[in-house]
Amino acid sequence: MHSTSSVRAVENALGIVIPDNARIIRNLINAIQYIQDHVIHFYHLHALDWVDVMSALKADPVKTASLAQSISNWYNSSPTHFRAVQNKLKAFVESGQLGLFASGYWGHPAYKLPPEANLMAVAHYLEALDWQKDVIRMQALLGAKNPHPQTYLVGGMSIPVDPNSQNAINAGSLAFMKDIARKSLDFVSQVYIPDLLAVASFYKEWASIGGGVRNYISVGEFQNDNISNTTNCWLPGGFIRNRDLTKLEPVDHMKITEDVARAWYKYGDGDDKAKHPWDGETTPNYTGPKPPYKSLRTDQKYSWVKAIRYDGLPTEVGPLSRMLVAYVAGHTRVREVVDMVLKKLGVGLNALFSTLGRTAARGIETLLIAEMMPNWIDELAGKMKAGDLKIHADDKWDPSKWPKLARGYGFHEAPRGFLGHWVVIMDGVVQNYQCVVPGGWNSSPRDAAGQRGPYEEALIGTPIAYPDKPVEILRTIHSFDPCMACAIHLVDSGHNPIINVKVR
Amino acid sequence: MPKIVVDPVTRIEGHLRIEAMVEGGKIVDAWSSGTMWRGIETIVKGRDPREVWLFVSRICGV
Repeated sequence: MHSTSSVRAVENALGIVIPDNARIIRNLINAIQYIQDHVIHFYHLHALDWVDVMSALKADPVKTASLAQSISNWYNSSPTHFRAVQNKLKAFVESGQLGLFASGYWGHPAYKLPPEANLMAVAHYLEALDWQKDVIRMQALLGAKNPHPQTYLVGGMSIPVDPNSQNAINAGSLAFMKDIARKSLDFVSQVYIPDLLAVASFYKEWASIGGGVRNYISVGEFQNDNISNTTNCWLPGGFIRNRDLTKLEPVDHMKITEDVARAWYKYGDGDDKAKHPWDGETTPNYTGPKPPYKSLRTDQKYSWVKAIRYDGLPTEVGPLSRMLVAYVAGHTRVREVVDMVLKKLGVGLNALFSTLGRTAARGIETLLIAEMMPNWIDELAGKMKAGDLKIHADDKWDPSKWPKLARGYGFHEAPRGFLGHWVVIMDGVVQNYQCVVPGGWNSSPRDAAGQRGPYEEALIGTPIAYPDKPVEILRTIHSFDPCMACAIHLVDSGHNPIINVKVR
Repeated sequence: MPKIVVDPVTRIEGHLRIEAMVEGGKIVDAWSSGTMWRGIETIVKGRDPREVWLFVSRICGV
C-alpha cells in the first residue's frame, strides 16, 4: 500500500491533518487488503510447503468430512464435497497437466499430514480462490479498483461520502461492506484459523526452526486519530530489542539507515557508511558475476537490496513483529488470541520466534482485523448519520501555502510489514524520495558489520533432507511472505546497469 | 559442503535468489539476493508531491 505511505509522507511534510472519514476509509481499504492478502498467502503461496497435494488422492472423503467437521462448523464440509474435489484433482493429475500444482516436491518425507488433512487443505485452497475475488470488491468500492486504488489524495480521499447520492458512499455501500465483512470473518474464523491450527499441529518442530534475527519493529496501524505517523493506532507500534518481551522502545525514524557494503550500489562517501533515507543515494554498481553463473560472489556485493537496519541492527518486519509488539504493549485481544493459539498447539511464547510462529501470527492478525472491520464500517455510518460528509482537508492544497523546504516521512504497516516513505520537497517539487519497504527489511543482505539479514539468519540451522529438493528452505522463506518487487531500490535512469541478471 | 541455489524462489511477488551451504544435513550459512531492480523513486523526482502516490503505488499491488 505505497499510496498510504506516500500521502502520509507528504501530509507529514506539510502538516496536513486529514478528516475522520478519510481516516476511516483508509483503515477499511487497508483492512480488506490485509484479509485478502493473508488468506491468499496462506493457501496459495505457503500451504503447499506443508500440504502434499498428491497425497490427497489417497484420502477417504468420508473421513475427510469427519476431520473437517471436528475442527469447524464451516458449511462446505460434506463427504460429497470432498469427493467432488478429489475427483477434480484426479482428473487434473490424469490429464498429465498439473497446472498450478506442477513442480511441487510431492512425496518428500518432510510432508507430515495424513491424506485426509491434505484433501481438506486442497479443497480450501480452491475455495479460497473463489472467496478472495469476492471480498476484495470492498476495496474496489472504496478505492475504485484493485489493485492500485485510485481514490487517495494528499489531505484525505477523493471518494465522496453522501447518503443522498447514488454516486457516493451511501447506505447501500455500507450494507455491501457489512456483507463482505461477514463473509470475511466467516471464512477466516471457520476455515483459515482451523486449518492453520490443524496443519501446525503436525509440524510443531517448526516452532523451533527459522527464528532468525532477534529484533522486531512495527510502526502501528489502523489510526485512531487523523495525524500522519500518530502513535494512536489500534495495533500499536514499537521496537523489540533482542527478543526482550518485557520492554517496548518507541520507534524513532532517525534510527533507520541503509548501507550498501554488500549491495550493488556505490555511496559517495563510502559504501559502508549507513545513511538515513532523507540522505539516501542510489548509484548502481554491479560487480556480480556475468550470467549465466552458478554462484554469486557472496564474499563481496551480492544483492540489489540494501541493508536496512534499525539502530544498526537487522530487524524483522511483518505480522510476527506486529503481533509481538501488540502483545508486549498489552493489547487485550492480541493477547487472548495469541495465548489461545499457543495453548491449542501446546507450545510456549518462545515458539513465536520461528517459521511456524511467523505463519501463525499472520493468521492471528487476520482474525483480529476481520473481527474489527465491522466497527470501522459502523464508525463511518455514524459520521454519515451525524451529517459529517467531509472527506478532504484542502487548507494546504495550494502550493503557495507550502514552505520553501519541507521534509516528511510516512509510516504505514502494509500486510507484509513496515513500509516507510521519506520525501524532501523543495520549491513545490520532490527533491528526494526514498521508499524503505518490508521486503527490503526482511531480505536484506549482510551489512558493513557483516550481520546477516532476517531471511539469511532464519535459514541457519534449518534441516535439509535432500539438497536437490529444499522444501525446508521454502517453508522459512515463504513464512516471511516475500515481496521482492518492493524490496529493490531504484536505479538512476542515467546509469544503465552493466548486466541484467537473468532469472532461470 | 554442498551449496543449494534456489533461483527463482516461486510463489512470491518478484525475484529472489537464495544460496545456502549445507553441512551434516543442516544449513550453516545463507545468502539472500534480490535479482531485479526498479526505478520508481527516480521518476518522482521533480514532480508535484501531490501526485507522487499515483506513481509509487505501482511498485506493488499490495
